[in-house]
Amino acid sequence: MLKKLLVAGALAAMTLGASPVHAEFPERTVENIFPWSAGTALSVSQVIAKAMGEELGVSVPVISTPGAAGTKAFITAMNRPADGYTIFDGYVAPLVLQPVLGNADWTYKDFKPLHSAVSNAFSIGGRKGETRWTDFEGLMAYGKANPGKLRYSSGSRNNLPHMVIAKVLQSYGVVAQNIPYKTDGDARKDLKAGVLDFSFVNVGAYLQDKEGFEILLVLSELPGAKASYDGAPSITDMNIDLGLSGLAPMGWTWWLVHKDTPDDVADVLRAAMKRAMNRDDVKEQISRVGFVPLDWDHTQYDEIVGPVAGQLGAMSNALAWEEEELKKLR
Amino acid sequence: MLVDSLISGFGLFMTPLALGLTLLGVLFGLLVGALPGLGPLMGIILLLPVAIGLPPVAAMGFLIAIFVGGSCGGSISAILLRIPGTPLAAATLFDGYPMAQKGRASDAIGIAISSSALGGLFGGLVLIFAAPALARVASNFAPPEYTALAITGLIAIAVISDGSLIKGLISGGFGLLLATIGTDEFSTGYRFTFGSHHMLNGFHIVAVVVGLFAISEMAYQCMSGDLLAKPKITVARPGFRSVLTTLRHWKNLLRSSVIGGFFGALPGAGGVISSFTAYAVAKAMAKPEEKYGEGAEGGVVATESSNNATVGGTLVPSLALGIPGDASSAVLIGALLILGYFPGPTLFEQQPEIVGGIFLVYLASNVFLLIAGILATPLFVYVLRVPKVFLIPTVLLLCSIGTYALQASVFDLFVMLGFGLVGILLRAASYPLAPVVIGIILGPLLENNLRRSLLISQDGYWIFLDRPVSALLLGINVLLIAGAIWFAIRQGRKTGDVSEVTGQS
Amino acid sequence: MLGKKQVNWLVIVFFAIIIAVVFQQIHTSMTEQGIATGGPYDNAAAYPRAIAILIGLLLMLQAAVSWFREPTTDTDADELTMKQAYRPLALLGIFALYLGLLGVLGYHLTTTPMIIALLLVCGARPSLRIIVTAALIAFTLAYFFEAHLKVVLPGGIYGLNIPW
Repeated sequence: MLKKLLVAGALAAMTLGASPVHAEFPERTVENIFPWSAGTALSVSQVIAKAMGEELGVSVPVISTPGAAGTKAFITAMNRPADGYTIFDGYVAPLVLQPVLGNADWTYKDFKPLHSAVSNAFSIGGRKGETRWTDFEGLMAYGKANPGKLRYSSGSRNNLPHMVIAKVLQSYGVVAQNIPYKTDGDARKDLKAGVLDFSFVNVGAYLQDKEGFEILLVLSELPGAKASYDGAPSITDMNIDLGLSGLAPMGWTWWLVHKDTPDDVADVLRAAMKRAMNRDDVKEQISRVGFVPLDWDHTQYDEIVGPVAGQLGAMSNALAWEEEELKKLR
Repeated sequence: MLVDSLISGFGLFMTPLALGLTLLGVLFGLLVGALPGLGPLMGIILLLPVAIGLPPVAAMGFLIAIFVGGSCGGSISAILLRIPGTPLAAATLFDGYPMAQKGRASDAIGIAISSSALGGLFGGLVLIFAAPALARVASNFAPPEYTALAITGLIAIAVISDGSLIKGLISGGFGLLLATIGTDEFSTGYRFTFGSHHMLNGFHIVAVVVGLFAISEMAYQCMSGDLLAKPKITVARPGFRSVLTTLRHWKNLLRSSVIGGFFGALPGAGGVISSFTAYAVAKAMAKPEEKYGEGAEGGVVATESSNNATVGGTLVPSLALGIPGDASSAVLIGALLILGYFPGPTLFEQQPEIVGGIFLVYLASNVFLLIAGILATPLFVYVLRVPKVFLIPTVLLLCSIGTYALQASVFDLFVMLGFGLVGILLRAASYPLAPVVIGIILGPLLENNLRRSLLISQDGYWIFLDRPVSALLLGINVLLIAGAIWFAIRQGRKTGDVSEVTGQS
Repeated sequence: MLGKKQVNWLVIVFFAIIIAVVFQQIHTSMTEQGIATGGPYDNAAAYPRAIAILIGLLLMLQAAVSWFREPTTDTDADELTMKQAYRPLALLGIFALYLGLLGVLGYHLTTTPMIIALLLVCGARPSLRIIVTAALIAFTLAYFFEAHLKVVLPGGIYGLNIPW
C-alpha cells in the first residue's frame, strides 16, 4: 500500500513539475541569488525582481547569500541547474573584482547576461567642521605630511571603493589605514564621531544626511554622478587620471544566468527584465535610493563590462602598494 | 514639535489600510516568529515587495508590525515546546518552559505577550521622546566602547549558567569560536572553511540555534513515555488578566525595557544581547524564593519586554541618523528609501508627518500585539494537546523548511542536524546551551571591534583607557566579573553538586 | 549504556578535538593564506587562538572537577539503556537519511516517507491513516511555504517542483 502510494505520488509530482525543461518557461518561482547581507542594495534588487516577476507571471524572490566578498553567492548559483530558474545578481565585486584579485576562478565571460540593473557612484567624504583641511588637496597634503596617520574606511577590505581610494591615494603618494566595517553605516557613524578621518560615502548615504558630510571628491567622471552630490568636485576637476572610465570606478550589478542556460529561456528572462527596467515606476523607485537604473541590454555586455575588467585589472596593484607601504611604516 | 509630528501623522495613520495592514503584520509576525527558523528579518524581507507598492505609512506599518510580532512570536514556541522560534527567544525558555510544564502555559504566553507589548510601548516612548538625544549618545559609541560592551555581554553567561559556571563559560567560548568560521573581515582570509564554499560566511546562526535547541529537544521528547497519548492538560484561559500579572513585575518590566531600548539604540547590539542581559540582571537582582530557572514569571517578563523594547530602540538610529540598528531595520530603511523618504535628521525636519505616522504605527502594532496575541493564546496552547507522535515529525519538518528558507541551502540543514547532535551531547553532560548563542552573537562584535580599535589606535591598547566611556565600561566590567566570581562561590557553597542538574537548559 | 560520567568525559574530548582543530587550521590553512601573523589588520589567527587557549584552560579545570568530584555523586542514576536510546537514535538516523536524500530526490519525494517513518518510530501503528496524515502534513506545509512565502523547496536532480 505504502509503496503504491509513494509511486503514485512520485508520478503525480513528475507530471506536475518535471515536464520538458522549458515548455512554458517559467513555470514556477525564479530565484535571484544576491551576494550581500540585507540592506538598501537588497531592497533595490527586490524592486527590480518584483517588476520582473510581474512581467514573467511568477514570483522572483531575492535570496541574500553573503560571504567571501560575494563569491559565495556566485558559487551557490553556479551549483544550481542551468535552467533559468536561478539568476545571479552580478555585482561587480564577485563578477570582476574578485577574479582580478585572484580570489575566484571565473571571468565575466563565463555567464550569460540578461540586462544591466543599477549602478551606485561613490565619493570620498569627510565630516562637517573639519579643521585640519578644507578640501581634498588639503587632505592629501595632510596625509603626505603624516604618513600612516590617516584612518579611513571603504566599508570592507579589498572591495571596489577600497581599490579606487587606494589608487587615488597612491597617485598622491599618501599612505593611510583602511578600517573594515561590517556595514557602511557603522563606518559613516564613526566618521561623524571623529574616529575616522574620511570615508567612502555613496549617493544614498549622502542623500540621507547632506548636512552631515563634506564631500571631498566624487570618484566618477560621469557628470550625473557629480550632480548627485550637488556639484562636489570630481576626479575630472582634480585632473586625477586613475585610468578608470565609465562604470569602472563605481559599484554596479548586471543580472546574469548560468552559461549553459538555453537561449530561448534566457531570452524570456531578458525580455522580462528589459520591460521591467524600462518601467517608469521601477526607475523612479531605484533613483529614490540614490542608485542609477541602467539600460544596457545583453548585447552590450561585452562592450561595457570588458573595459571595466581591463581597467580594474590594470590597477589591482594599488591595493598591494597600500599594504606594502603600511608594512614599511610599522 | 514632537506632538506636532504625531498630530500631523495621525491622518496618514488613521486609514483602514494602515490599520488593517498593521494588524495583519502583527499576526504574520507572530507566525514567522513562532515557526522555528523564520524570524522577523525573514518575514520583513519576504513581504517587502508587497510593501513598496503601498502608501508610505501603511507600508511601514505593515513591516514594522512584522518586526514587532516576530520579536514576540519566538517566545510561544519557546514556552510550549522548549524551542526558541527565533534566537531572540533563547532566554525566554529558561522560565517560560518550566512555567508551561507546571500547567501555566497560558499564563506564560499571556505574560510573554503582555511584556512584549508593554516593553514595546516603552521602547516607543523612548523612540518618541529621546530619539535625537539617544541617537547622539549612540553615535559616539565607537569600536572601543563596543568592545567593552561585548565583554559586559559575556559576563551575563556567568549569571545564567549557575551551578556550572565553568561549563557555561566553555559553552560561551565554543560560541565565540563558532563565530570565527568564514571570511575574516579584516584579512579577507578564510578561517575554518575546510575548502567548502558553504562555509564562506560561517554557519547561519538560525541553523545553529534551531539545531541546538529544537533537534535536541525532539530527540529528548521522543525518549519519554507513551507518545500516542493525548496529553490531558487543562488549559486555563488567561485573558487580559496577564497584563495585570505582568504589571505586578513593574520594576523588572521597566528595567528590562530600559536595557532593551538602550541596546536597540546601539547599532549592532540587537535583541538577543538585550534579552540575555535583561534576564541576567533580573535574575541577579531577584530574591532566592522567586526561583529563576524554575518557572519564575519575572524571567519571562525580563526577556520579552527587553527584546521588544529593542525594536523601538533600533528605530532610533535608523530614523534619526539613517544608520540601521540591526539587519531588520536595515531592510526597513531600504523600504523607506524606495518609498521616497530619507531617514535621518532631515526627515524629522521636512516630513514630520511621516515620522509621526511611523511612531503611531509602531505604537499601534504593540497594542494590536497585546489584543490579538492574547485572544489567540488558546489557539497556540492547543499545540500542547497534540499527541507527541504527530508533534515531533511536524516540528522536525517545520524546522527543516524554516531553516532551508533562509538561504535556500540544504547545507544549512546539515548544520542544523550537526548542532542537534552537539546539543544532545551538551545537554546530556549538563552544559548550558544558551551561552553558545550568546557567544555566537557577541563573537563578531568582540573580535571585530577589538581589532578595529587596535587599528584605529595610534598607541595600542591604551585606546581603551584613553576614551572615557570605554574606560568607564571596562571599570564596570571588572566590578561585574568580581561580582560574578563572588556570586558563583556563594552559589557553589549553597547548593554544591546538586545544582549541576539545573545547568540543563 | 552510557552514564553521566562517561558523557562528561565525552564532552571534554569533544572540546579537546575542537581546540586541536583550531591549532591545526592556524598552522596549515591560515599560515598558507598568510593570515596567521602580523597586526590586527592581517592576523586572523590571534583571536581564535586566544579563545581556544581559554577554552583549554577551562576544560582542564572542568576535567579536574570531574575527576575529583563527580564519581561519588554518580553511581546509579542516569544510566541510559539501549531501549531508551532506540527512539532518539532512530529519529536522528531517519532525519539524517532524509536530509541526505533531500538534495537528490527533492522535497516532494522524500518528505512523506520521512514523516511516515518518524510516526512509526514514535509508536504509531502502520495504517492508511498515518500515510494520509503524513502526506497531508508534507503537502500542506509545502503549499504554505511555496505558494505563499515563495520559497522554492529542493527539487532534487529531477527538478520536482509543484507550480501551485
